Amino acid sequence: MAAASTRDDTFPKLLIRNAQTRGARPAVRHKDLGIWQTWTWAEVHDLCRAYAAALHALGLQKGETIAIVGSNRPRLYWSMMAAQMLGAIPVPVYADSVADEMAYVLAHADVKLAAVEDQEQVDKLLSIADRLPNLRHVLYDEDRGLRDYDHTRLHGIEAMLRKGAELLRTDAAAALDAAIAFGKGEDLGVILYTSGTTGRPKGVMLSYDNVLISARNGCLFDKLDETEETIAYLPLAWVGDHIFSYAQSLVAGFCVNCPESPDTVVEDRREIGTTYAFAPPRVYENLLTLTMVRMEDAAPFKRRLFHYFLDVAKRVGEPILNGEAVSAKDRLLYGLGEMLVYGPLKNRFGFSRIKVAYTAGEAIGPEIFRFFRSLGINLKQLYGQTEAAVYVTMQPDAEIRADTVGRPAPDVEVRIADNGEVMFRSPGVFLAYYKDPEATAKTKTPDGWVHSGDAGFFDATGHLKIIDRAKDVGKMRDGSLFPPKYIENKLKFYSNIKEVVAFGDGQDYVACFINIDLTAVGNWAERNNIVYASYQELAGHPQVYDMIARHVDEVNRSLAVEPMMGGAQVRRFLILHKELDADDGELTRTQKVRRGFIAERYAPLVTALYDGSPEADIRTEVTFEDGRKGVIAARVKIRDCAAHPVAAPTPVMEHAA
Amino acid sequence: MRAPGSDKGVAAGDVLLAVDNVSLNFGGVKAITDVSFDIRKGEIRAIIGPNGAGKTSMLNVINGFYHPQQGRITYRGETRQKMRPYVAASQGISRTFQNVALFKGMSTLDNIMAGRTLKMRGSFFWQLFRHGPAMREEIEHRKVVEEIIDFLEIQAIRKTPVGKLPYGLQKRVELGRALAMEPDLLLLDEPMAGMNLEEKEDMSRFIIDVNNQYGTTIALIEHDIGVVMDLSDRIVVLEYGRKIADGTPDQVKSDQTVIDAYLGVPH
Repeated sequence: MAAASTRDDTFPKLLIRNAQTRGARPAVRHKDLGIWQTWTWAEVHDLCRAYAAALHALGLQKGETIAIVGSNRPRLYWSMMAAQMLGAIPVPVYADSVADEMAYVLAHADVKLAAVEDQEQVDKLLSIADRLPNLRHVLYDEDRGLRDYDHTRLHGIEAMLRKGAELLRTDAAAALDAAIAFGKGEDLGVILYTSGTTGRPKGVMLSYDNVLISARNGCLFDKLDETEETIAYLPLAWVGDHIFSYAQSLVAGFCVNCPESPDTVVEDRREIGTTYAFAPPRVYENLLTLTMVRMEDAAPFKRRLFHYFLDVAKRVGEPILNGEAVSAKDRLLYGLGEMLVYGPLKNRFGFSRIKVAYTAGEAIGPEIFRFFRSLGINLKQLYGQTEAAVYVTMQPDAEIRADTVGRPAPDVEVRIADNGEVMFRSPGVFLAYYKDPEATAKTKTPDGWVHSGDAGFFDATGHLKIIDRAKDVGKMRDGSLFPPKYIENKLKFYSNIKEVVAFGDGQDYVACFINIDLTAVGNWAERNNIVYASYQELAGHPQVYDMIARHVDEVNRSLAVEPMMGGAQVRRFLILHKELDADDGELTRTQKVRRGFIAERYAPLVTALYDGSPEADIRTEVTFEDGRKGVIAARVKIRDCAAHPVAAPTPVMEHAA
Repeated sequence: MRAPGSDKGVAAGDVLLAVDNVSLNFGGVKAITDVSFDIRKGEIRAIIGPNGAGKTSMLNVINGFYHPQQGRITYRGETRQKMRPYVAASQGISRTFQNVALFKGMSTLDNIMAGRTLKMRGSFFWQLFRHGPAMREEIEHRKVVEEIIDFLEIQAIRKTPVGKLPYGLQKRVELGRALAMEPDLLLLDEPMAGMNLEEKEDMSRFIIDVNNQYGTTIALIEHDIGVVMDLSDRIVVLEYGRKIADGTPDQVKSDQTVIDAYLGVPH
């Protein structure tokens, strides 16, 4: 193992190993024109070498950066690989970020080249070209619409591959071999920009060692091998995709499947039958919501069958998955359910062959978590960060609970600082933030410990529980704790609620903004004969308010049970007239709420939450997809909620934050 | 799909279709009165005008659905007075409709496949058994259809019955079916009617891409003047069945008669 790791200490070297040891096995698939196209490891190896030779001919040097912009396509992954063969550094960027955000990242990263998906991205880059003096060439995957563009600085990746193959017949091959051999594990492998929950995005520099050791540990932890199938559909710029769809595929030698288009992921996953899956809670939530909505419309017999076996699964599914003792009758019933309900359902989800599925990024609703596990899908949680090359804590098999994120991952040390902040140290810990020593010093201690920025604590079983961002945990006027995200997540677990923003720091009580989920509430409205013409109208409907008030009351009840959180019960709420949107800066690109920005933008509403008024007027500017601006005005109603008596604190209590 | 410029006989920039002094009446109603204009190979030509100006009638005349009482139509150098729609179709004129006219119960794929009907050569016998040459042919056609699906970015609705699709997507499927004929001249009757801004932008891009990539000549009717000015190379303006202006977007924009027709004249 040690010898192997010194030899295969970079991705290009791993690719060569895979081409030699499993050359005929599939490495990448991409659905194109309705048919899955497959490339073997040997083919990918040859293509990436050719690509690297062509990139070299374009002038890409060791240590220079190349931006990768687009959705999950084989050639964009190969762009990363080809750059790394030359010792250059790929910088994957969120493809849906607006031109201004992209300009900042690309300029900050000093990119020399950019490999992009299609005309849309080419246009975006051309529109910010004057802010990127270092950008020399743009490469594109899809040539549609680009025929009449000036091609002096624009190149098709297809043509690059052909040109590179020719170059390799000359002496370029030897130079390339030397460049690959020159790469070392401690070299900078990739720069991943954080999505910028707070302030400007920061470029997290990860070495090959960081990514490779983490990826390898992850593979060992879940016993992943070359027979796995995964689907790549999460943003390339996200560390999760970099580890799961790139690094682990190279380490374990399994096949990565690129969907036909972002809209066909569910269908494509079903065709492939993934064995290893990864998704933020939102994806699982959507699958569940869709299933429930469809079942509401199903024939009565089917609906009864579904609910009956779902109850069986709820009762015995998880114990069976965890290998606990279950009576023979229940096992029989569960087996029948597998044939009639669970099997077909898992087939729909594309989880028929699933070995392990992960969720991370945010807390997942316990109901959602248990639903998937009770069907026999080994869904687990992990807690990770870009700065850790993902893994901080993971849930080992048979120790899986909805409300914790598991034990420290292999080779990772975790401790809780005095202020409740989670800190970690591991081989995956990043080198530094790119061109930002100040931020680096603030986050990483000289002896390698990283401030995660999250507040949490270890429970009695040694599992980590995250409650909130450390800096977001506030105090109310009476001194009781205000963990906004903890409250928000409790509310978001209701399928009718899509997004919540809680306020309460320095105030007398907690109040919140709520976004309803249009799919779930819209369907509910249809079943209850509630007519509405727009999101705004539905959001303001008294019956919708009644329903949400019931959810809030249930949450208050559950908060009251926990002595530490009892003071944070929601006393007033309102339902926002528009959906929070990343284009308006209200959410980050990874769909997390920007609390401060929202408080500022909706200041009149926040004031109204605390001055007792029954409604308030608001005018907000919105940005349309093409960048045009408009104004939405609305009168928003506010509801009061009752507080429940708080449980008495137990004598011994661990303070988490 | 076919590479641009393969259309024999007519080079880019030459007149592909000419309408000379065409008049069309329905009984006493004069839909079109003495209108002449031409459409050049490879251009995007817009026909605009207020409601009831005769725009759709003009398209119907061009693709042989209506037969004008007077005047001539010259298509690829061949002059005719009467032509059946299916003859127009077989000669490379395809169209979409103001009100979507798809087979609602059929999938997107089948609808677009239907656009290949005229290109089917296999004998009825083999078609019946979906075997041998018929199968080979179907694979060929399916490939073209898949390219169109990819082009219009409608992979996710490939197998969805079109009746279940939102209007904007139905319009896109209809464009797909028209493209499946590999037309030389594509007639689009209000391709963006009833669409929101984003859908209009998508559709505009598809129209430009069709013109750009396949060199397809396009004649379109559209009410969104902003879109028309951006998209088209030349514009014909009709009012009450008469031609009142013809020229580039800039010429038409500054033409006083057009301004009067659209904005009204003070009395």
